[in-house]
Amino acid sequence: MEDISLQSRIDVLTEQQVMIQDSAIAFIAQDEELRKVRRNRFDQPGFDNQIWQEMADLGWFGFLVPEAYGGMGLTFADLHTVLVQLGKGLTPVPFTATAVIAVGAIVKGDNEALKRDRLPSLVAGEWKPALAWQESRGGIDARATKVKLRDGRLWGKKIFVPDAGGADDFIVSVLSDKGTELYMCGNGANGLAIEYEQRIDGGFYGQLNFEGVPVGDRVASAAVASGAIESVLDEGRLAASAELLGVMTRALEISLDYMTQRVQFDKPIGSFQSLQHKAVDLFVLSEISRSVVLQVVELFDAGVSQREGALAASQVKARCSDAAMQITRETIQLHGAIGYTDEANIGLYLKRAMYLSSWLGNASAHRASYAKLKLQAETADE
Amino acid sequence: MSNQFRVDYNSMDDKDFRHMVLEWYVRNYPDELRFPPERMHWDECGAWYMQLAEKGWLAPGWPSKHGGMGLDVNKLLIFMDVGENYGIGRTPDQGVSMVGPLLIQHGSQEQIDYYLPKILSGENIWCQGYSEPGAGSDLASLQTSAVRDGDDYVVNGHKIWTTLAMDANMIFMLVRTSKEGKKQQGITFLLAPLDLPGITVRPIVNLGMHDEFAEVFFDNVRIPVAASVGGENNGWSIAKALLGHERVFIGSPKLAILAMSRLKSLADAANLFSDVLFVERFTALQLDVEDLTAAYKRFIEVLKRGGEFGPEVAMLKIWNTETLQRISEFTMDTAAEYAGIWGGIETDDGLVRASAEFIGSRPGTIYGGTNQVQRNILAKAVLRLPG
Repeated sequence: MEDISLQSRIDVLTEQQVMIQDSAIAFIAQDEELRKVRRNRFDQPGFDNQIWQEMADLGWFGFLVPEAYGGMGLTFADLHTVLVQLGKGLTPVPFTATAVIAVGAIVKGDNEALKRDRLPSLVAGEWKPALAWQESRGGIDARATKVKLRDGRLWGKKIFVPDAGGADDFIVSVLSDKGTELYMCGNGANGLAIEYEQRIDGGFYGQLNFEGVPVGDRVASAAVASGAIESVLDEGRLAASAELLGVMTRALEISLDYMTQRVQFDKPIGSFQSLQHKAVDLFVLSEISRSVVLQVVELFDAGVSQREGALAASQVKARCSDAAMQITRETIQLHGAIGYTDEANIGLYLKRAMYLSSWLGNASAHRASYAKLKLQAETADE
Repeated sequence: MSNQFRVDYNSMDDKDFRHMVLEWYVRNYPDELRFPPERMHWDECGAWYMQLAEKGWLAPGWPSKHGGMGLDVNKLLIFMDVGENYGIGRTPDQGVSMVGPLLIQHGSQEQIDYYLPKILSGENIWCQGYSEPGAGSDLASLQTSAVRDGDDYVVNGHKIWTTLAMDANMIFMLVRTSKEGKKQQGITFLLAPLDLPGITVRPIVNLGMHDEFAEVFFDNVRIPVAASVGGENNGWSIAKALLGHERVFIGSPKLAILAMSRLKSLADAANLFSDVLFVERFTALQLDVEDLTAAYKRFIEVLKRGGEFGPEVAMLKIWNTETLQRISEFTMDTAAEYAGIWGGIETDDGLVRASAEFIGSRPGTIYGGTNQVQRNILAKAVLRLPG
């Protein structure tokens, strides 16, 4: 399918970025009809192990893993091109949750032995960890207060862990007598019960109930854990935004194709001005979103303070969440009745947008968060 | 005319250059003209225009051999940025922004030698005669006719929306020299003094009660054929090329940023930042502006690399002008009854006039090709939707 973005017209990519992007384009082209996406829907664990392995073979889980631990030590500038394509392909693998969030939690933690021991197997696709951080609805508040560590055992509840059923281990944020820490906990450990909620896009959220579950290795001590969680979630928000950018872009591409082919009143419907203007508005929205993604990618690669990172993550997640929802619901309208059927692929894009836009804080939550940070700064100035 | 020695501004350090420009503005630009709410007339800004001329800073983008500052893209952007931040108002600058570049590209040596110095000296102030009552969005259907009679054209017709025509003494215009073939092919670019017999200028009062633009009537006006640019019937293509890369600047977020800061002052005065409903709407607009800024910078990078824009640059105009309108509408909301008066509200940052914000943001979606025309262009040229 033809790329409608302005990338080829106005952006400049490095040779390395072009190479990475080309391999991602070829990768998602294998399932352009989205057959594998459909096959994995509503079926535990909600993702495709074979695709996971293929991605691992391409080295993608090692993008953000330093070379010393078997990764590639690349930047968001490199990684985001893959995320956009995975969004376009609706690839049924929790890539952001794993390659950005779980990887980040371990890398930003302070257990050197664990990094040396486990990161290479994560990169190889042999080990699938998932970060369990969330305790309340809304996706913004990262404080761990409900899950407690007492005498080496976990008590409490974590919610909205994406595709928990396929995880080998959970990295759990806990409140211990030292403060907030990150601990490893095996999936299947005694006392851990997981309740699943089917997601709208066909995957699953897990709710982890800890009833005296013995913990494994410490991933991050109280000295670094809180900062690591905040920063890794902000990176996750950027990554989810890049995926959303792919989702909205492909939804628009599919719809433009449809508008060119679908004939009513003896003309392709794409020749009608009311629909052309609608399509242009959606296109403008997608390119505004792309501009923000590119800006935040550059910012994160340059290095940011906690506050700058939080502001930038809220800016990009608010924009991409809203834009993806607006574009996917209005492209349903552009399709007419066929758009309301499960058979038409456009609906799959709407549903992925519904999941990704509400995960890690929706647009309203991020605007509120952005406002709070800005107002705090002003009060501090006075 | 400047009698200073030529300075190679491009070799200056960016910071030093920025500092130099700002310092000169602070010392020379009249305080009462900072951030003017409307386009200034010649009686307000003429002295400033002449000061710029004297300094040699009137034409920052022209090559230095033609008397400009010869700034490269990077320095030009800094120069503009400093001016926007300091609140330097626009002068009647059509000679600098349109006529100069046009003549440098398409004019004869005689035309360049004759007209350019008169722009730089302030002797000639230009206005633009493009639109007509029957040719707005569909500009190529213009009917003002120029009929050959010996060495002259005899011009008859009616131009409209001519910005600051009453302050100008010269007009550059598009006229119809042929009715054969496609309508774009029978158009010629003409230059004329406004004091020729048969020309009448009539100001038009806009919604802000300001006579910013005018109508210009031509009744058997004799204009020498030698005053045409680029040859007979070639006017359309050179006028189009003239829009060129300047189109990106219509997407500059500066106006929106300033409008947000006035809205903020208004809200502070009314103690609205403790109101969650207000904060939600304010933040959404603030992010619209921040995200526009990200998009604008992305496009500006193209210029810095020496690239050119295609039709895609129209997206900036759409997003910018419509964001500005949304801000002004929310400013009206925030001002409550004060939205219904001509005056404004005194705030820590001066007088904020909600009604003027609102009215002032209306024409943005109309001029320079309505936003609907911009959408038509994007639909066909970028999204390649069928005609």
